[in-house]
Amino acid sequence: MMRFLHNHPAEPDQTVRQCALGTLETELMEILWVQGESNVRDVVQRLDRPLAYTTVMTTLDRLFKKGLLARYKSERAFVYSPRLSRPGWERKRAEGLVAGFLAGPHPSRELLISCLLDAVGQHDQVLLDELERKVRLKRKELSGRGQP
Amino acid sequence: MILPYVLKLLCLSLASFFLVHTAFALATLIFSPTAIRLSERMRPRVAARFLFALRLLPLALSVFVVLGLCVPSYLWFEPEEMTEQVGLVGMAAALLGATICIIAILRVLHGIAGSVRYGRQFQRAGREIQVPGDPSPILVLEDQTPFMVLAGVVRPRVVVSSGVMQALSAEQLEVALRHERAHRIFRDNFRRLLLLLPPDVLPLWRGFAGLERSWAKFTEWAADDRATEGDSGRALALAAAIVRLARMGAAPRLSPLATALVRADDNLAARVDRLLLSEPPREQALGGASWGGATLVIAGSLATVMLGSGSVFSSVHALLEHLIR
Repeated sequence: MMRFLHNHPAEPDQTVRQCALGTLETELMEILWVQGESNVRDVVQRLDRPLAYTTVMTTLDRLFKKGLLARYKSERAFVYSPRLSRPGWERKRAEGLVAGFLAGPHPSRELLISCLLDAVGQHDQVLLDELERKVRLKRKELSGRGQP
Repeated sequence: MILPYVLKLLCLSLASFFLVHTAFALATLIFSPTAIRLSERMRPRVAARFLFALRLLPLALSVFVVLGLCVPSYLWFEPEEMTEQVGLVGMAAALLGATICIIAILRVLHGIAGSVRYGRQFQRAGREIQVPGDPSPILVLEDQTPFMVLAGVVRPRVVVSSGVMQALSAEQLEVALRHERAHRIFRDNFRRLLLLLPPDVLPLWRGFAGLERSWAKFTEWAADDRATEGDSGRALALAAAIVRLARMGAAPRLSPLATALVRADDNLAARVDRLLLSEPPREQALGGASWGGATLVIAGSLATVMLGSGSVFSSVHALLEHLIR
């Protein structure tokens, strides 16, 4: 029973909020997002670097327990597939990040919002400099004509 | 499916509304790039009115066709005791018609609820300040966010953050307030509410983003013209205020029924360049008969012609019979 509870995969939402992925975990997720359903051997073959079969098997099992992969048994081997699409995972991760900030103390909320505002502000910086230059020129022109 | 008389009328009305509205909306969509190009040659206030009327046209025409033609022809020619089967196409069109109407109603209700909620929050958190030249006081929020909006539909109020009050010079603030007052005079927030009303072309496909963006641009330009009244000093102060606010960062996105001095999707360069022209634009009185009057006259004439000839209604009824089977 304890083993069953331990092996029961988490909900993807929970995982996204609670943990970040390691390098190998990310690599394996990338392979599964591209290839779709694969067993451990398929994944090992698709890796860019040589890794032990058991290492990949353990990591895939960990991703399954985190709720990011679904699996079923086929001919004595597990076949894994992602439970979330890549855009879905990225969206959940972003939502988790923002939700974490917003649930935090007031200063971290302000920090997040000011970061977003800064990003928007910087985007238009060149344009705003140019517009400000035009305003200054116009002001000079008007004061030259004796207007305020 | 066999439906009783009144339900069949409802079903037919929704189905014909969906079909007629889709046809008019698609035709309007096809014409809208040309209309936007045409509007660039008009004065901003006329352009805003033209695009606003165009956006509401498919809805107005569809309501006119359904209430003025389909419903009377059904009541006139359909025998009450007759039970008739409604075909699959008719039912599907009715369902789609109901869907687009429900989505539109929910959008309006959501807009109103948001506007009321923000209005209450502003009222609670804001401090009223009387400014010279304006009978209704403005609300000042103790906040550093770049925030200057006209909020509310029935009794719109100008809401300003203390950050903006500090950042702008007295002259810039005055002309910026004149700009917001111009929106109030033009009832732009009420027009925003009306723009939420037209149903989507197809469920969940609104399809008129370009037209609505152009309308929003011209409403800003029209308010700029009203605020500056062709005065170079005021135009310069407004341009400086706009740049200053834009530099303070993005304003928070509020209810769709609020008008901000600087919006995130504003074409700032075009707006500021326009204000810095050697001859700043001024608002000109709209000449000729009012558009509302002209529309009423046209609608009245059409209604008279149609009522005078029963053959129109019998043709419509024949079409409805096809739709229902």
